[in-house]
Amino acid sequence: MTTPSAAVTPAAFPAADAALALTPPMPVKVLERIDWASKNYLIVDDFIGVRQLLRESLRSLGAKNIDQASSGGEAMALLNKLRYDVVLCDYNLGEGKNGQQVLEEARVRQLLLPSSVFVMVSAEKSVESVMGAAEHQPDAYLVKPITEGVLLTRLNRVWRKKQVLRPIDQAVVEKDFLRAARLCDEQIAATGKTHLIDLLRMKARMFERSGQPARAREVYEQVLAQREYHWARAGLGKIRLADGEFEQARQMFQTIVAENRHYIDAYDQLALAYQGMGQHEEAGAILERAARLSPNSVPRQRNLGQAALKLGNIPLAEKAFRKCLVLGEYSIRKNPDAYLGLARVCGMKNETKDALQLLLLAQREFGSGSGAEHEFMRLRAKVTEGLVFHESGDERNARRAGEELDAMLQQDPARPSSAICVEMATMLFAVGLKDTPSEVLCHVVRNNHDNTLLQDEIQKIFDKARLQDEGAAMIRAARKEAVDLMNQGVVLWKGGKLREAVEWMREARTQVPDNVRVLFNAVQILVSHMKQRGYDADLDLEARAILERVDKLQPGQGRFAQLMEQVNALLPKPEEEAAADAAPEPSKPADDRPAPKPVSKPASKPSARSSRARRGY
Amino acid sequence: MEEPHHAPELFLFLASTAHDMKNSISVLSGTLERLLGDASPQTEKAYPQMAQMLYQTRRLNDSLMQLLALYKQVGKPGYPFDMQPIETGQLVEQVVALGRVLLESRGIELELEVAPELVMHVDEDLIVGVVSHAVNNAVHYTRDRIRLTVQEVDDGIEIRVEDNGDGFPPPLLATGALLDKGAGGIDFLTNSAGLGLYFAGEVARMHRHRGRTGAVRLENGGPLGGGCFILTLP
Repeated sequence: MTTPSAAVTPAAFPAADAALALTPPMPVKVLERIDWASKNYLIVDDFIGVRQLLRESLRSLGAKNIDQASSGGEAMALLNKLRYDVVLCDYNLGEGKNGQQVLEEARVRQLLLPSSVFVMVSAEKSVESVMGAAEHQPDAYLVKPITEGVLLTRLNRVWRKKQVLRPIDQAVVEKDFLRAARLCDEQIAATGKTHLIDLLRMKARMFERSGQPARAREVYEQVLAQREYHWARAGLGKIRLADGEFEQARQMFQTIVAENRHYIDAYDQLALAYQGMGQHEEAGAILERAARLSPNSVPRQRNLGQAALKLGNIPLAEKAFRKCLVLGEYSIRKNPDAYLGLARVCGMKNETKDALQLLLLAQREFGSGSGAEHEFMRLRAKVTEGLVFHESGDERNARRAGEELDAMLQQDPARPSSAICVEMATMLFAVGLKDTPSEVLCHVVRNNHDNTLLQDEIQKIFDKARLQDEGAAMIRAARKEAVDLMNQGVVLWKGGKLREAVEWMREARTQVPDNVRVLFNAVQILVSHMKQRGYDADLDLEARAILERVDKLQPGQGRFAQLMEQVNALLPKPEEEAAADAAPEPSKPADDRPAPKPVSKPASKPSARSSRARRGY
Repeated sequence: MEEPHHAPELFLFLASTAHDMKNSISVLSGTLERLLGDASPQTEKAYPQMAQMLYQTRRLNDSLMQLLALYKQVGKPGYPFDMQPIETGQLVEQVVALGRVLLESRGIELELEVAPELVMHVDEDLIVGVVSHAVNNAVHYTRDRIRLTVQEVDDGIEIRVEDNGDGFPPPLLATGALLDKGAGGIDFLTNSAGLGLYFAGEVARMHRHRGRTGAVRLENGGPLGGGCFILTLP
């Protein structure tokens, strides 16, 4: 061969035509050509040479609309203006946001289309890039040095994979996890082995999120029969953990960590297993190791700080919280916990002035937004203030903070989450108040009337406040109130008084807004109403809003998935008849588990969003 | 203890320097590929020199990648090994794309014999790196043909890179035979090619399945009569 242009076997290299070179070089099943030319691209890298290189590569695809940013801030400004189809983003962007923070903020603020491809480019395989490290995973990773061929191959592959996963992702956005699991099976049947492992992983997650650990386990075992994937092993471990088999779970996670020291998710689970066995020192040590491996994760540093605080390891807590604040500066996941935790640390070091300063800062930063976290910021800051004074031995000021909190609680009947309520009550008792903390604890019991573990914990708080018998009586009364609320709804429903039952449950929800059983019953009755009296858009909306709330309070409930499926089945579809399900049984809710289990919170997918900001070319 | 044996500042410094070097090499080889792609020996007087520059840039790139992987403790639990399912066709496509301009510029023909829909479970970046390095290496040894085959064998997958040159020199074959014994058996002073081979061996060993591990060996002969680089994965 003399002429280089003809040097390569034609079958191997279809042509110099870049679009052709993208199709697999071997005669495989014909895949439709992806139209790369008309898409919008964003390249983010702080090095101009790399931006030019990537731009040239994209141009050889025919791409015309290519924007560039040299920093995380610039990238966010562009992402705000335009819905890009493809984002190529370097992890390391110098000063300011890093690539992961750009991704997280873009996802949380829904600046990416569901079909958008986000490719993270990094100098090396980092811990964050091995599965399990980050909550928000990019669609693909590219390790430098980047070459055109690899970039184009990966872009094609991730685009195709997104197509396969798209209907499933849509079901996840709608929180219809049972439908999503069925769609996984359909896609496996359609695509064969190509995406099998990815689809099985997705299917297992759907079973987890719909409260079917037994079926999730089957899928994980199916994967492990083929290959030892750490995430499948970890999946089995998590199910063990949820079942309270802490020692078995510990062994499984220990094995994963021994084989792959960077599988960060296993450390978090290992720490939970130790905590479950009451071995808090060990749990703390594991969290410390995890934080060293993945030092740039805000939630990981926060967890470490809180664990260290519980262990009384003040220097470690301080270090973790401070790191958290530094990291949070550019992160959308910045949250007040680190400020409050650091304030406690300052209190324990008798630096109350600094502690108060931090509390002021936290309120300024987080007190003005909307959402539950922001609404209760003043309460949380006040609780911490009381604890800071209490722990630094200043009982007079602790009492004053307690009284101020008391006044705030009496002025506004809204109550924060159960965990914060318990914290408030503990602090109020500690400074010598009685009525308000008792009332707050009763609120918690009413909202968790079937959670015996939590009630034991609350009884202990009463005991410590020397209110043993009064406390026991109050707990009983609060529990009965909740049961009565529920039962009255069921009586109305059984008597066919659907309108009244719906009304009753609305009232019940204002009284026990966090009671998952009441919320489930409320949805069940709404579903009944629609089944018998026809679809109603308002009731449909109401049911979905309640389910949304339940999934936030206690994710991974079986009854959630069933109800979500029933609600979706009621949507009027011209060609399909809603399946006639068996009558629901609100008096005996299917969920008979004794206590809510710590289920890891699933990452919420951004919902669909139209691309209004498309520019005209 | 997690990041090997250095102070954190030094590690950060090394990491950011490596990042810079990778950027430079990306730009260098991307630019050369573009220039070569637009030119031909007839139109461009410096064509052979440019081809040589690309070859040397690739060698630089491979060595840097291998050194960094060794620094990150490739072959040990400390390396962030990332196994994913991937179709053989996808993997080969990347190797082909990486080598395309270099092979064209050297007038070398690449034959493929691949079962494209075969699903492998591998760390894609590592395996693409190893196979692509084997192809670059074959560019040095071959006369004018390189053959890349991927096929299912007993208990696994075999990837072969073969050429029609004079075969590997005896010292290199000897080194290949020592791979199972780890770095101790390789004389890096007299044998710079040992690094690539050692890296390939470590990468292969990281791939395990049901008690079996991947392996690398070198042979002379084969269908094209030259050197054969053989990577087996369980």
